Amino acid sequence: MAEPVIRVVDLWKDYADDLTNAPALRGSSLEIDVGEIIALYGKSGSGKSTLFNLIAGLDHPTKGCIEVEGQDLELLGERGRTNLRRFRLGFVFQFFNLLPTLTAFENVFLSLELVARPDTEMASSALREVGLAGKEHRYPNELSGGEQQRVAIARAIVKRPSIILADEPTGNLDTATGNQILDLLTRRCRESRTTLIMATHAPLTCHYADRVLKMVDGVVVEETPGEAVVR
Amino acid sequence: MKIVTKSFLRYLPRRLSLSLLQLMGVACGVAAVVGMTMSAITALASFSKAVGFLSGKATHSVQRPAGPMEEKALADLARDPSVEHFSPVIDRRLRLSNGDLVRFLGIDPFLDRAIRPEIADAELKRDTGNPEGALSFLLGDDAVLVDRELAQQLKLSSGAILQTTRGSLRVVGTFANPSGDPLVLMDIANAQRLFALQGFVDRADLILTDELGFRTRWENGFLIQSGRQRSIIFSAMLGAFRLNLEALSLLALFVGVFLIYNTAMFAVVNRRRDSGVLRSLGARRHEIIVAFLTEILILGFIGGALGGVIGYCLTRFLTALIGTSITDLYFFLRPEPSAWSSWILFAGIGLGCGASMLGGALPLWEIVRTDPVKALSGRVADRQSGRNAHRTSLAGLLILAISVILLTLPHTHIYVGFAGVFSFLIGASFLTGTVLVAVHPGLKWLLGRMGRLPGKVAAGNIRQNLGRTAVAVAAFMVALSMSVGLGAMIGSFRQSLVWWMGSQLQGELYIGKIGEADVPETFYEEVKRMPGLGGADPYRKVQVLYRGLPVYVASVDASVVQRFTHFGWLKGGNENWEPVKRGGVVISESFARRFKVKSGDTVVLGGAHGPAELKVGGIFYDYTTEHGLLMMDRSTFLRVFGDHTINSLAAFIDPDNPRRQELIQEIKRRAEARGLPMQTQSQLRASILKVFDNTFAVTRSMRALAIVVAFFGIAGALLTLFMERRRDFGIYRSLGFSTGQIATMTLLEGLGMGVVSYLLSIGVGTILAILLINVINLRSFNWTIFFYFDLGPYVWTAITALVASLGAAAYPIWKVCRTYPQMQIREE
Amino acid sequence: MTSGEWRVARKRTALWLAVIVGVILLSCIPSSGAEWKQAVEPWTWSFPRDHGSHPDFRTEWWYFTGNLEDTAGKRYGYQLTFFRQGVNLQPKDPQNPWSIRDLYLAHFTLTDVTPGQFSFAEHLSRKGPGFAQAAQDGMDVHLLNWSAKMEGNTVRIEARDHEMELSLKLTPTKPVVLHGEHGLSKKGAKQGQSSYYYSFTDLQTDGTIKMPGSQFPIRVRGTSWFDHEFGSNQLAQDQTGWDWFSVHLSDGQDLMIYFLRRSDESVEPTSSGTLVTATGGATHLRLADISIEVLDRWKSQRSGGTYPSKWRIFIRPANIKIVLTPLVSNQELVTGGSTGVTYWEGAVAGTGTSGGKRVTCEGYVEMTGYAGSIGGIF
Repeated sequence: MAEPVIRVVDLWKDYADDLTNAPALRGSSLEIDVGEIIALYGKSGSGKSTLFNLIAGLDHPTKGCIEVEGQDLELLGERGRTNLRRFRLGFVFQFFNLLPTLTAFENVFLSLELVARPDTEMASSALREVGLAGKEHRYPNELSGGEQQRVAIARAIVKRPSIILADEPTGNLDTATGNQILDLLTRRCRESRTTLIMATHAPLTCHYADRVLKMVDGVVVEETPGEAVVR
Repeated sequence: MKIVTKSFLRYLPRRLSLSLLQLMGVACGVAAVVGMTMSAITALASFSKAVGFLSGKATHSVQRPAGPMEEKALADLARDPSVEHFSPVIDRRLRLSNGDLVRFLGIDPFLDRAIRPEIADAELKRDTGNPEGALSFLLGDDAVLVDRELAQQLKLSSGAILQTTRGSLRVVGTFANPSGDPLVLMDIANAQRLFALQGFVDRADLILTDELGFRTRWENGFLIQSGRQRSIIFSAMLGAFRLNLEALSLLALFVGVFLIYNTAMFAVVNRRRDSGVLRSLGARRHEIIVAFLTEILILGFIGGALGGVIGYCLTRFLTALIGTSITDLYFFLRPEPSAWSSWILFAGIGLGCGASMLGGALPLWEIVRTDPVKALSGRVADRQSGRNAHRTSLAGLLILAISVILLTLPHTHIYVGFAGVFSFLIGASFLTGTVLVAVHPGLKWLLGRMGRLPGKVAAGNIRQNLGRTAVAVAAFMVALSMSVGLGAMIGSFRQSLVWWMGSQLQGELYIGKIGEADVPETFYEEVKRMPGLGGADPYRKVQVLYRGLPVYVASVDASVVQRFTHFGWLKGGNENWEPVKRGGVVISESFARRFKVKSGDTVVLGGAHGPAELKVGGIFYDYTTEHGLLMMDRSTFLRVFGDHTINSLAAFIDPDNPRRQELIQEIKRRAEARGLPMQTQSQLRASILKVFDNTFAVTRSMRALAIVVAFFGIAGALLTLFMERRRDFGIYRSLGFSTGQIATMTLLEGLGMGVVSYLLSIGVGTILAILLINVINLRSFNWTIFFYFDLGPYVWTAITALVASLGAAAYPIWKVCRTYPQMQIREE
Repeated sequence: MTSGEWRVARKRTALWLAVIVGVILLSCIPSSGAEWKQAVEPWTWSFPRDHGSHPDFRTEWWYFTGNLEDTAGKRYGYQLTFFRQGVNLQPKDPQNPWSIRDLYLAHFTLTDVTPGQFSFAEHLSRKGPGFAQAAQDGMDVHLLNWSAKMEGNTVRIEARDHEMELSLKLTPTKPVVLHGEHGLSKKGAKQGQSSYYYSFTDLQTDGTIKMPGSQFPIRVRGTSWFDHEFGSNQLAQDQTGWDWFSVHLSDGQDLMIYFLRRSDESVEPTSSGTLVTATGGATHLRLADISIEVLDRWKSQRSGGTYPSKWRIFIRPANIKIVLTPLVSNQELVTGGSTGVTYWEGAVAGTGTSGGKRVTCEGYVEMTGYAGSIGGIF
């Protein structure tokens, strides 16, 4: 069997300044293979976002080990982790996190610029692929929520990452739009064999996943195939 | 341009109002520094230029240690083998009828040619085509030349009459005067008559070939100064004043950098989330640093350039103010604001960019250091801000400790004192975070009382957004403290001066005016003999050298002064006059401190017959000169210096004398008959206070500037807060807050910050005043100012704080009223 | 002022020239009330009284020139002149020494023939408290630290300026020579256009001089010439300047001649001279007795004036034929501070014949009005 693209072993995360709460992660472990579409399912505060941030190298675990594409994040160093985010990871956030001062096109192009492939055609076609042809030069505040999330998806996909991390990608959208977004996101990932991990508290999202990892109080407690949760 | 950078820069036009505020913040900071520094430099350069111009080519000057020199000494100078050239000079002030005091030189144009060719040429080269005018300067009894600028200012042309307190003088021509010193020239023969100096000159300017030889022949009884010594003495005269200006420039720099720091800090705070997004997308730290620096440098650049221009405009105003002060205190000067030069622009830009970098460095370091996760959610950062505030406070306490050490170090340079004062302000400003946390309940109660729920929310917002509010409060607090501190210091100084006047100025009438109209000795004799008069004090004040430094000697009638005044003595009482009657002296506090002379010591002064030893009988408080004052009886003064000049005559009358009014009228009548100016006690006191107030005009303008700077600081903070929380406004709206309530909330946020800033500034400002009095003044002026509590500065500052914080809230409120009804809970 | 400083001072000097011309122009306007005495009648001479000042006249000068030699045989020349120029016959405030009645001017030159160096200085002052004075009872003139004083039969002259110094003792070897008609020297056709004028033509001279740049005073001896002249209104407007010669011949004769030049380039007919024999007898020379030919000219770089620089002089009555040349060509004074007049005055020497016998000669020549007219000034 091929090496898992992500391996997490006994991950702990303590927020030092937050003494009143229990640790956000308490020994989570998981493995994800190339091209898998995963739903990380759990209630708010179950540790999904923490796990996400740790996988992205945006934060440091208190204990435990994360390997992305076979590389230990802690050993990569800041520069290595930045490169990892830049070249190998794509992000989709609940609040879209588009840069408000950049147009849709520029937000996507920014991503290409960071991987040193400033190809305007790629950026345009990425936007076309998410159905935003003609809206390239709008600013985020001139777009609806769904459209903003489409931009975010285009931004994540355009640089052809091996993994896309989506944190509550539909959390801020109505159901119909949410479905469209999930459909788009999973379709694009399947087409390009990109690993997709979606953190969510909505069962609907799990419907689109190959595998669902359920988190409770900072631990991955059960693993079910995607369909199971919906039913 | 990289998109990363672009994403930052797009904020500038997008949040135009905020950008403009930030720009104005930088511009005001830079303007304060440029304006103050340039004015100080210009005024001081103008001073040296005037000194240089008047000294001409003279290598030395010779004069009596005090008072005028007999003109018969000139013939010996003419024949002295070491004297290449000499030029007798009568160097006085002349009061014009418009009240201006100008320098007056009486010279011999023939002899002066070797010393001041430009001036001498001017005297003789006029009207060469017109024989009638050619010698008019020499032959007309009342002929004067005025410098061209003065002539223009007074609209005088050749043939016009210049009205002065010494009669009308006929202008026979004008001349170019490159110095900033308004100048009236007269032939020495006429000058002697004008100033009743027949047979005397003030000094002779010399070109010497052999200084040593000359000194051996002339040292005894004469004061010989080289050009260098003269300029050293002149700059020593201005030393404390220069220091004061330097301090004000530093103050401007401090306030300016603080504001720019404030501005940069807000810029960082605003970019925190974006930087988080960028980091999560894989942008490197340096890319974010470049983007951010580009943004603040653009602000720094434009703001700096603008500040340069505004600062230049300020110099036009400040230079005149400084000139007036120098004129009042030391030397008549008319400093020209320096001409516009593109260097001012460069300096402004440099300052703007430099200060922006400096101001941005700390917050920038924080932004790149912060984990992107925290950066991504502003909330997390603010949850920590209480902790941060305490950390900052610890740093503040450390700085305060350093400041205490600096301030208590004995005998160090005054700059160390300044450093101490500034570190005190910085240290105090670091404490604002903690203070905001601490006063939160009180503020909540206060704002709650004022605005009910919106008030409470406002208090919460101030507490929750410490990252922004603490900085704004710190900046505002510093500015208000300056206002309180400078105000309280000036007020105390003024009160001390009033107290001093009460102790020393007890005469009914003061006849004559120092430096303008001397009192003839015969008049003194006449007044002294008037029956029923309590006493007449013939006052003479003259600058002499003590240990090579300029000090003043005053001669009085010790018995009269002992009887009618009650000097403020450091030790003892009016019995201190006893040794003075016997040939001793009393010295001012400034003299005692400056030269470390104690009561009972002996000081040696160069007199007209060689060195004279004088025993110190007591030390008195005095605010007339920071250089030090020795007071002696007239008999001693005449013995030592042989100078019979009387600058002013004070007439004392016993308070219970029934003929009091009659006597006053009689003296007035006699003085008028002689054309002598006179002042009553209250007029004299008022004129002294006027000079005092003029002197502090510059300081007051700095105070105003600090407030303006602070206004932009707090306005920027409020606007940032407002923009950051637009989404919250959507929530408030959804909760049913009305537009009015939101406006109230915004207003109370501004007010809340203003109140906290003001409360802090009461303490910090009072301590600042005490530091200024007990460290800066004592060290640079050598005199003790007594701290007098006066509500004035506090009330004034309170009003300023109120107006500024409400004014700062005005724009956000306007925005609220306009946009609130459309606001939704959504991202920007 | 040394010659090296000349260039620096030139601009200012040009200005001053204009200044003083103005000053003196004014002095030509008669003051109200009393007027200056005019040189009309022959003077009743009385010495030493007449060596002193004659303050009733407007202009007066004491003029010393001389040709000197040091022990090594190096040649020098000097000029020390004191002028008194009346401004106000009655000063406004006679008690006040600063109140101007006269202005005193003085010129001091030294010529070092060997290196061809010429230096000059000037003084200008009012009487002031002891700055300048000319006694009325005998020769005692001083202006600042320059002075000329006669005691007994000896005149002491002293001057020091910057690096130049002069201290000489002059002893007349011939009696006073009265020029013109018993000392009344005509300068023009009009009444009063004259001056009283006498000389010591031959003064044995010794003392010290110090040239600029030299460390020590030099002992010198030689022969000097002294002129004393006073009057009130000498040169007319159409007179552009004069040439004045004082020459000692090696046979003991002394010769003084002057020409007043007019703007039409003619010579004033009253121009004249005096020939003094070895024993001191004086003969008045009329213009017709003198012929002069300019053999060469020198152009001043400084003032632009072109001066005669070689003369052939023929005195018919005494059959004296001499050729004179300046010992240094540049002996021009551009006086800024005092008279404001640019003129050439310098040591000359020559050879020729006197009564058929070969003679050498030395003396001084003064030429005015070659760098701008000075008509009406003196």
